[in-house]
Formats: sequence, structure tokens, C-alpha cells
Amino acid sequence: MKGLFPLLIGLFGTFAFSWLGLTVVPNFQIGHLDPQSDEDGTDIYPMPKSGMVERGRHVYVANGCIYCHSQQIRPGYEAADIDRKWGERRSAPRDYIFDRPVQLGKERMGPDLSNLGKRAPAEESAPTTASAPTNAPSATTAANPAASSPPPPPNASPAGPAVSNVAGEPLPYSAAWHHKHLYSPRSVSPDFRDSNMPAFKFLYEKRLIEGERSADALQLTGAEAPPSGWEIVPTYDATCLVAYLMSLDQSHPLKEVKSSGSPAASAAASAAPPKGAK
Amino acid sequence: MNGNPSDRPPLARQGTDYGETSDVQEVHAAIQREKREPRVGLEPLSIWLIAVYGLALFLGGAYLGRYSGNFSGDSLDPLGGPPPAKKGAVGPGGGEQQVELSPHDRGKKIFSANCQTCHQANGLGVPGQYPPLAGSEFTNGGSRRMGMIVLKGLQGPVTVKGQKFGTAVMQPWDKTLTDQKIADVMTYERSEWGNNASPVTKEQIAALRKELANHPESYGEQDILAAPDEDIPGGGEAAAPAQAKPGEVTKPAPQPKG
Amino acid sequence: MNPAIDIPLKEPAITAAAGDAEQVERALIDASTRVPVLMFYASAVAWLLIGTLLAGLVSFEQHSPDWLSNMSFLTWGRLRPVCMNIMVYGWASMAGMGTAVWLMARLCRTTLRHPLLIVTGAWFWNIGVLLGVGGILAGDSTGHQWIEFPPYAAIVLFVAYALIMSWAVLMFRFRRGEQIYITQWYLLGAFLWFPWLYAAAQLMLFATPVQGVMQAAVGWWYANNLLFLWLGAIALGTAYYMIPKVIGRPVYSYHLATIGFWTYALFSSWTGMQRLIDGPFPAWMITASIAATILTIIPVATVGLNHHMTMQGYFPVMRYSPTLRFTVFGAMSYTVFSVVGILISLRSVARYVNFSEASIGYTNLGLYAFFTMVMFGSMYYIVPRLVGREWRYATLIKLHFWGSAYGIGLMSLMFLVGGLVQGANQENAAMPFIGSLESVLPYLRGVTLAAFLLTVAHFIFAFHFGLMLLGLGRTSTVPTFLNPVEAEGTEAHL
Repeated sequence: MKGLFPLLIGLFGTFAFSWLGLTVVPNFQIGHLDPQSDEDGTDIYPMPKSGMVERGRHVYVANGCIYCHSQQIRPGYEAADIDRKWGERRSAPRDYIFDRPVQLGKERMGPDLSNLGKRAPAEESAPTTASAPTNAPSATTAANPAASSPPPPPNASPAGPAVSNVAGEPLPYSAAWHHKHLYSPRSVSPDFRDSNMPAFKFLYEKRLIEGERSADALQLTGAEAPPSGWEIVPTYDATCLVAYLMSLDQSHPLKEVKSSGSPAASAAASAAPPKGAK
Repeated sequence: MNGNPSDRPPLARQGTDYGETSDVQEVHAAIQREKREPRVGLEPLSIWLIAVYGLALFLGGAYLGRYSGNFSGDSLDPLGGPPPAKKGAVGPGGGEQQVELSPHDRGKKIFSANCQTCHQANGLGVPGQYPPLAGSEFTNGGSRRMGMIVLKGLQGPVTVKGQKFGTAVMQPWDKTLTDQKIADVMTYERSEWGNNASPVTKEQIAALRKELANHPESYGEQDILAAPDEDIPGGGEAAAPAQAKPGEVTKPAPQPKG
Repeated sequence: MNPAIDIPLKEPAITAAAGDAEQVERALIDASTRVPVLMFYASAVAWLLIGTLLAGLVSFEQHSPDWLSNMSFLTWGRLRPVCMNIMVYGWASMAGMGTAVWLMARLCRTTLRHPLLIVTGAWFWNIGVLLGVGGILAGDSTGHQWIEFPPYAAIVLFVAYALIMSWAVLMFRFRRGEQIYITQWYLLGAFLWFPWLYAAAQLMLFATPVQGVMQAAVGWWYANNLLFLWLGAIALGTAYYMIPKVIGRPVYSYHLATIGFWTYALFSSWTGMQRLIDGPFPAWMITASIAATILTIIPVATVGLNHHMTMQGYFPVMRYSPTLRFTVFGAMSYTVFSVVGILISLRSVARYVNFSEASIGYTNLGLYAFFTMVMFGSMYYIVPRLVGREWRYATLIKLHFWGSAYGIGLMSLMFLVGGLVQGANQENAAMPFIGSLESVLPYLRGVTLAAFLLTVAHFIFAFHFGLMLLGLGRTSTVPTFLNPVEAEGTEAHL
């Protein structure tokens, strides 16, 4: 090649072509999306996350969770994501408009997390046992003297949500389960099979029990349990991380994506215009 | 210096005269034995290679054409086609929904679209995270406190029905829901799941909204408990439920400083 | 160091060995590039050692995760990006820049006029990488793969690059000779593309971030272009120099080289989105990248054919020349790497392997089997010319080569096969997800073994390189051959 000038033009041109085509043009197409709302202007999805959840996102990013967990559901005709009950519909660009940085993920050593919050237990199951932390009168870190209302009856009303199954283990995907999983992943592995998730013990503090166990102390058994008189409590970062994890929910139907979930779920939230609404 | 002729490999040129310049660098043996700098030959392209190019271009182009979903920004599906039809457009009973819905039913729709993810469909919330609405002292108490929470949001620790919550933040709804909608959803919540409290009208919410207009976004538990536990004044239509609350849940003490 | 001698311009000599004036010219050029290039190489080797050790640790923790869980800065999720970034920005970029500096100086036939600029640039680059590594360990990772360095480290890298790149302009400005050789196209391309690439990524991800999933698109566009248009271009340019230079034959065809270069620039730059297959993106972006990946068969076939025909009849030289052995291994790996890339991008295959370890295997093929091996070859060629000594122990070179070759071969095999198994199990909804993890664990153990092999090979190389830096190489007129040369009159004079 004799000329420097044609070379430079060519270098510039090929790269500009790629830059424009793969980043600028798609940015025009999907880079300025608004949340979806129904005709009344309600039911806005997605909503930006704030507060502890946002901080939890930073903890997620800082600790590299993306290297093992993804946050995207692939369509049912392409992959088994929906068969695995990780979600009811595929992910769409609109699901991520308030995520910064977006954590789509490229590897699945562990399961996908897009709808982790949705999978948290909501229904009550067996009544809680006496050792359940829900009953603690929180005398340890009494930051809120106003909360000294008369404690509810020990077997809390049947409407009281349960945090554990009968064996005292936290229900999967509940907040307590997340804490236990982060602290000691292998202790919640199904059937004692081996998960290779690293333990995030640095997100937890070990401290002396003052008076009663605190409400958010982890329920640990066996080799993982702290010596008697000590308890493991989450740090603020751990709490924020769990709040973030439990906020992950892409189940809201989107008009542009077909939902393969149950008709009841989609019909309840869908936009059948309520006539007569003022 | 590398000056001895006998050390040079046989292919090096003899007679290098280093006297030309006084401070020339040492010419290492490595450089001496080096071949000339690379140059390029001019063999023509093979016809087979051009065939390979053609095949590749064809395959690539065909793939691009087939799976691009019309190059539209909305087509997430590679086989193209329009996005799926909106739900409810051809609902069997869609045309019949001309009946005016009651505030309770309207509120139920709003609840399931906005509040259900956190407070759950059964109003029980998530322990440690999202307070329950069923049997809650705030839901069953005066509509002022509840209205403050719904309008402006709540953050920080809060105790509901004797349990502590504090991991999640409740967002304010004053910007996203109209007065009528807030009134409807509160009415629904106050009469569902065994709750039995007064309904709320949009005039009440409008008045409360005006009252709180200058308040910064979110309340904390102290702010809520500091407000009187009363219904928002101006409530017109007191429909069936009585004002007296059956005593399933006790009211928390109004004085935060104990 | 930089005598202002006006070397009369002379056409390259016709005979096999260089003419006198040409030899002196090269000696001067090498003298001027000595400090900057050795500085790059020394830094690169240091980062290589750290990176390889970390890679071993990261790999080990993948199947035995209970180590080091009490310290936030040693958690696996932070070590993994640190390892990756050290290998890309610490080792690969610095070795690439060192080789590129030397190559450009030689090909432009001009001495390096301001070596201090480059040396300063190298120091700043080191500082930038160090800052970035520290930032990630402290929890400031940006969350985007291949560009995890926090912005404060990125600024330092940018300043460093500006210093280094300034010479490229100068070098080209003062070049002698009419023709611009193939290698120079690739190197010029690499040096001009990288700042644009890096700046665009920093701008669109951090300074004025794009919304939502576009961040992932920009991130993978950046990552793939970094691999192809920065590292890959340097490696291809280097191979185009080393192969004809060592065997003393011209490159087979100018036309093939031209087509290979332009199609490489055009098609490789459009890949990247296939890593987001089936994700929340308009389908056309993903398909465009897959189509571009299919079309990269054109530059692969072209460059491969060109090298093959150049080498025709001279393959036996690989028995002797370390440079040729490493370089040809790298060039052949480029073909393998590209073919694997095409295979795993096709939708029917990608649905299985997209979220599995196979994509890591693919990346490692490119970064190591292709780029790093070519860089090793170039270092084996260049370092003796800078220090005036030959490599001391042929055995160490052989151990290095076989350790690296077997290491990357085993690693790639483990990742690719393990990835296929893992992916198949992931797609099998009847199997609980943890089954897919369990099925890949034995392969990950194989990867750790491979990492161990690579660690040994790299330490051997570093030791050998250190000997050279200390001036402890062999004083000889004859290069270090890997095997004894059989006959005196063999055609391939080395």
C-alpha cells in the first residue's frame, strides 16, 4: 500500500462503521425507553430502585456476583430458562432501564437471578416455633423505644408470616435464607450437594449476644455455627445486598413480550381498561 | 567490539568499516546475521479462495437476512414479526365491563398493580422486609397516618404488629397515583383481609396532599407516629363500615418519647 | 544513545544477509529502542507472573471455594476480574506495545527519537494497572467485564497511552522508504483504534452512560474489539514480520495480505454482540454479529493461506528457531480460535454454551494461544538484539514452549468440553441446576492443572528473561537453537 492517507481513511471508516452500527444505532432504538404505564397512568413498570436496594446493587457489583449469576431470562423457544421457572417471560430492554450498571451476566455457575425477589415465600406455612426470631422483643440494639408495644401473643395470629419451615430452616429465598446462603452457601445446598459459591463471611459480623439474640442473627448449625454466646449478624452491606436480591423481579408483564405464565397472573395486572374509573 | 573477521558467520559481508563514524553502536552478531527486512510477493489470488469468500458472504448474508427480525428495535425475536398482541384486547368479557366498578374493586386493581409485589396479595407482607397490611395498626387506624405513608413513602425501621421492619424502602406514590386512585386503594386495603376501617375519598387525599405539599419526600416512623391517629377531615361519604374498630389489634401508643 | 547520524538511504540489500550500512542502521535503531522496549517487557513479564499465579488461584477456588472467605479483597468475585484485567492490560497490552515499538522503529527505519516519552508512558501504564487492581480489590469495580478498572485508573491509563502513542505519530512522520509494509498497517490500526475504543467505552459507560441494556452492548462491543482490533492486530502484524524475517522469504501474496487486513478490520469489529445471544436486545444486533463472525472466515482463511504459502518448504525451520515455533503456533491458533468462535456463535450451539465455561475457553484461546504465543515468539527474537546476548539455555526455551503449548491445549480442551457438558445440563430442565455445576467441576480441576503447567512455563521464561536483563546471556554469534542444526549447508541459514 503506497499511501498513508488511504490507509488512515480505511482505518477510520471500518471502525466508525462498527461503532455506529453496534452502539450508536441501537442506542437510538433501545437507548431511550420509558417505563410502561397503562392507560390511567398507573401501574408503572419498572420503577427505579432507591435507598438500601440501590446500595445493595453496589455491593453486588463490587463483589463480582455477575461472574457466576446472570440476570436475564431467555425466550422459551430458545432455552430452558422458563422451563426452570426462573421467570414467566423473557427479559426485554425495558426491564433494565434503571439499572446502572446493568448486570446481565455471561456465565451461569449458579442460577439466574432475574426473578429472585418474586420467588420469595409469601404464603404462610406452619406456625413459627418458639425459637423463631420473629418473636424477639429486640432488647439488644434497642434503637427504637417507641416499639415497646405490647408483644403479640406467642403463637402470633395465623396471619403472621412464617420464616421457617417446620425444621427451623429458613424458607428458600426468604431474607433469612439469603443471609444464610451468603454466609455459608453449602449449608443450604439442596440435598447437601456441592455448590461452589464462595462464602461471603466478610459481610457478616460475629459478636457477643447481649441479652437476647438479635432478630436478624443467622440461624446456623453444625460446623458453621458460632460458639455459644456469640451470634452472627449481617452488616449493613449484607442487609442491603439481600434487599437488592429480593427486589429482583421481572414478572410484571410487558406489552412487547409474550408472557408464558399463568393467565391469572397476567390478567390481574394487565391493562383491561377499567371503565368507570375517574 | 565485534571486530574480528574470523568470528563472523560466513554469510556476513566482509569489509565493514567502522571507521566511518566514531561512536557507532556495537553491531551485534544477531543483527549481522539477520536477513533483510520482510518484503511482499505478488502471487495472484487462487480461484478456490474466491469461491470460499463467495460462500462465506452468502452464508453470512443469508443468516443476516433471515434472523434479523426486520431490523426493528422492537423485535427481540430473530424470526421477526410484530410483537405479540396486547392482552385483554380480545377478552371474552371485555365488552361487558361497562358496569361501574366500586371503589373497593378499583382499589383492588390498583393494589395488584402497584402494591402487591411488596405487601403481597394476601396483605401479609414479607417478614423483616415488607410490613403487613392485614391487621396492621396503620391500615386500621386513622386514614391520616396511612395517607401520609402512601403519599410520601416511608423509610427506616418501623414496627408493625409488634414486628420490626427496616430493610426495604417504601416509595412515595404522590407523583404516580392520582387522588382518586390513592383513595380507592386505601379504601380497598382498609376493608380487605379482615380489616374494617373507614373508606377514603379523593377529597380527603387531595386535602392531605395539599397539607403535605412542602414536606420532603419520605417519612420515618417517628414522623408518622407524631401525627394524630385520626381520619383525614373532610370525609363525606361514610359508607357502611362503622368508625369503631373491632379490637383485634391494639393501637400503638401515640407518644414516641416514652 | 541517539547520535544524530544521517544514514544515507539505501535500498535493502539483495543478498540474504544485510548490507553493512543496513546493519549499522539496525544497530542504531535497536539501541534507541532498547530502554523503552525492555521496560515494557520487564513490566509485562512481571504482570504475567502475577496474573498466572492469580489465574491458578481463581481456578482453584472455582472447585474448592472455601479458601479466603474472610477477607473482602480476596473474595473470588474480585480476584477474577483482577486476574483478567492484569492479563489483558498488564501482560498483553504491555508486551504488545513493547513489540510494536520495536517493530515500528525497524520498519520505519528511523531511530526512536524520544524514548523518554515512552518510558514515562510505560511507568504511567504500570501505575494505572496497579491503581485499577487496587480499586477492584477495594470494591470499586465498575461491573462491566473487561473494563472493570475504576475511572480513576482509566484516566491514568489514558495519559500513559497518550505518551506512548505520540511516538507512533512521530515514527510514521519520519519514516523512510516508500512502501508501508503489512505489519505497519496492523500496528498503525491497533494504535489508532485503541484510544478511540477506550474513549468510546469510557464515555458511553461511565461519563454519559447509556441506558439499560445498551451498557451491556457497549461493554461487549468494547471487549471484542479490544481482543481483535488491539491485541489481535498487534499479534497478526507481528506474525507478518517474524515469519518472513526468520526464514528469509517474502510473504506469499500482497493481495492476500490486503484482503486479509481489510476484511479483518471490517468483520472482526462487528463481532461482540453474539455474546448477548437470546438476551434482551433487538434481534438484528445479535444476528449482525453472528453474521460478522461467520464472515471472519474470510480473513482467517486469507491470512492462514498467506502464512502457509510463505512457510511452504520451511516448516522444518521450526525445529530450530524458537521465534518461528512460537509464532507459527500462535498463527495456527488464530485459525483454531476463529473457527471455535464461529461454532459457538451459531444460535443452535449458543443456546447451550452461551452461559457456560466454553466462552471462557474461547477467550483464552484468543488471548493466550494466539496472542501470547506470538508475543513470546517476538520476545525471543527481539530481546537478544537489545541486550547483545543470546538466550542462554535452549532447554529452558523448550520447556517454556511445551509447558505453554500443553498448558493452553489442556485448558482449552477442558473449558470447551466442560462447557458443552455444563451447557447441555443447563438446558435440560429435568436436571436440577446444581447438576450442571457438578458436571463441570471435574473439568475445572483440569483447568487448574493446566494453569499450574502455565505457571511453571512462565516462571521458567521469566527466569530466563531475567538472566538476559542481567547480561547473563550467551555471548555468541550463533543464535540459540532449540535443536542442534544438522548440516552446515542447510538452506535455511539462521
